[in-house]
Amino acid sequence: MREITYSKALNEALDEALAEDEDVIVYGCDVGRWGGIFNITAGLQAKYGVDRVFDSPISENVLVGAGVGAAVGGLRPVVELQFADFLLTAGDEVFFKAGMWRFMHGGAFKVPLVVRLPSGATGAGPEHSTCPEAYVMHSPGLLCCVPSTPADAKGLLKLAIRSDNPVMFFEHRRLYQTRGPIDDEAPTVPFGQAVVRREGRRATIVAWQLMLNRALKAADILAAEGLEVEVIDPRTLAPFDFETILTSVKKTGACLVVEEGYRRLGVGAEIGARLFEEALPYLDRPFRRLAIPDVPIGSAPALVSRILPSEEEIVATVREMTR
Amino acid sequence: MRNDLLAEIFRKSLLTRVFEDRFVRLAMEGVVPPLLHPGAGQEVSQIAAIAALEDDDPVLYAHRGVGYMVARGVSLGAMLADCAGRAGGTNNGKGGIMHVVDTAKGIFGESGTLGGGFVISVGMGMAAKKKRTGRVVTHFFGDGGSNRGTFHESLNWAAVQKLPCVYICENNGWAVSVPVSDSTAVENIADRAQGYGIPGVVVDGTDPDAVLDAVRVAAERARRGEGPSLIEIKVVRLRGHYATDPQDYRPDAAEAARNDPLETLRARIISLGLMSEAEVASLQAACEAEVEEAIVEMQAQPVLSAEAAFEDLLV
Repeated sequence: MREITYSKALNEALDEALAEDEDVIVYGCDVGRWGGIFNITAGLQAKYGVDRVFDSPISENVLVGAGVGAAVGGLRPVVELQFADFLLTAGDEVFFKAGMWRFMHGGAFKVPLVVRLPSGATGAGPEHSTCPEAYVMHSPGLLCCVPSTPADAKGLLKLAIRSDNPVMFFEHRRLYQTRGPIDDEAPTVPFGQAVVRREGRRATIVAWQLMLNRALKAADILAAEGLEVEVIDPRTLAPFDFETILTSVKKTGACLVVEEGYRRLGVGAEIGARLFEEALPYLDRPFRRLAIPDVPIGSAPALVSRILPSEEEIVATVREMTR
Repeated sequence: MRNDLLAEIFRKSLLTRVFEDRFVRLAMEGVVPPLLHPGAGQEVSQIAAIAALEDDDPVLYAHRGVGYMVARGVSLGAMLADCAGRAGGTNNGKGGIMHVVDTAKGIFGESGTLGGGFVISVGMGMAAKKKRTGRVVTHFFGDGGSNRGTFHESLNWAAVQKLPCVYICENNGWAVSVPVSDSTAVENIADRAQGYGIPGVVVDGTDPDAVLDAVRVAAERARRGEGPSLIEIKVVRLRGHYATDPQDYRPDAAEAARNDPLETLRARIISLGLMSEAEVASLQAACEAEVEEAIVEMQAQPVLSAEAAFEDLLV
């Protein structure tokens, strides 16, 4: 089995999708000549030409909206927004056009669109730091991928490009240089299938991307204390695999969601509400969330680390939950 | 313009007017919601513009009126079904009159957020160019919609990419209750074409020949791969913003009514000898009968299943 970086996995997925299907196009700010500000599209314009991999103006509304139109017209556009925060810059196009153009026209169209959204707090200020996937999970008509490993990054991106539905694809910038094994022969993981990254019986932790890595490290620390926790990676937030969480919570009786989005009405709030509705008899302990407190994310490193859930906080929370 | 084409534009414009006026009465009777934004005063230019295109060139239409759909022969009964919540419509109860769709006839829908369609047209133009379909994508919008930021983003990028798009602004002078002088810095929206290095022309919406010629020139340029054009048609709005809007805010309503392009065209048809007064009267009666048939057709359809609320979201 090979080992590659998360960013290389994304690049390979785009490369293979462009090779497989003439209708796939890739565009966005700086994706052509430069190869993307995070280098994810490196080499693709040289290989596939300026008609298929091209730069765009700084015009987020038309970037996403033209993606919807191009999809309606029979292409499979993959649009890069440089920062996931710009999801909201292109709000009309993301939520109304990508999410609802098919619906509002009675199913007359398919919208095979992928919007790539590099997310995560790296000290770039309040408008270049967020993980805004809860907005997507909240709104009908959109699929939402949050891959945490190179293998999932590649598999889910290829699946997203082949999908006839609009997909908001969140890539975590602090994972770009992380490495992981990739099995080129493995079957593609479908949307809506969570994975248990670590088994345990004392508590269930749900986390993805950077927070998943922190949860897994916290789980190591807790295991040394004799506290075995189960760690679940949802992989996609829409569709959402609640069954895997339910099965785990029935075993552990405790659930903690760790997320890099804002706490109020975040993904954790949704998971907690569903547990309250469907799993209350199995919860021996109060449901807990760790998330960004409801303030914008500043740029100074100390401010960022103050508000991002840390391994220590995860460890302390699980200790307190299981006491 | 050939006489037979002029007569056809007149027939379709008259049918549109009759349909919309009947629609407003249906809304008063509670048969359909009063959500139509009547296009009275704009039908002639809408239909003349579409006459300049190929029958299957995709059209993204504006919210005012159904002239675009009548121009392409979309079923009147199906449009009524869309509004009345019955089966047999074009959008399965999802979009009413705002989102009528008939892709086989090149009717590709509308954005509910005004000015939200510009961005869609750019992508459709990209697909037409890349797939070499030879199709020209036409986007109609109002003077109000032209003030969205999407106008700038879209015309700029369409021009950069030399997309086969035609942008047609129907300037009726009013964005709901706000006169264009209070909302728009330039007198002619077509002047903005200079900012994108594309042709921009102003035409008189009471003159179907001028509209037809302007759109033909723009469509030919687009089909040659030379890029988009911006056409501004000066039109009048004869009715309120929506079906039952009394438009008390308009000091110019009486003057607008004296400049009804449909009346101008009717007089021209008669003076050219294409139809007699009696023939125009019988055409009017035929249009009324066609609309009544469409109502019967709509009423014969079953009420939509409420479960349609859950259909048509994802593939």
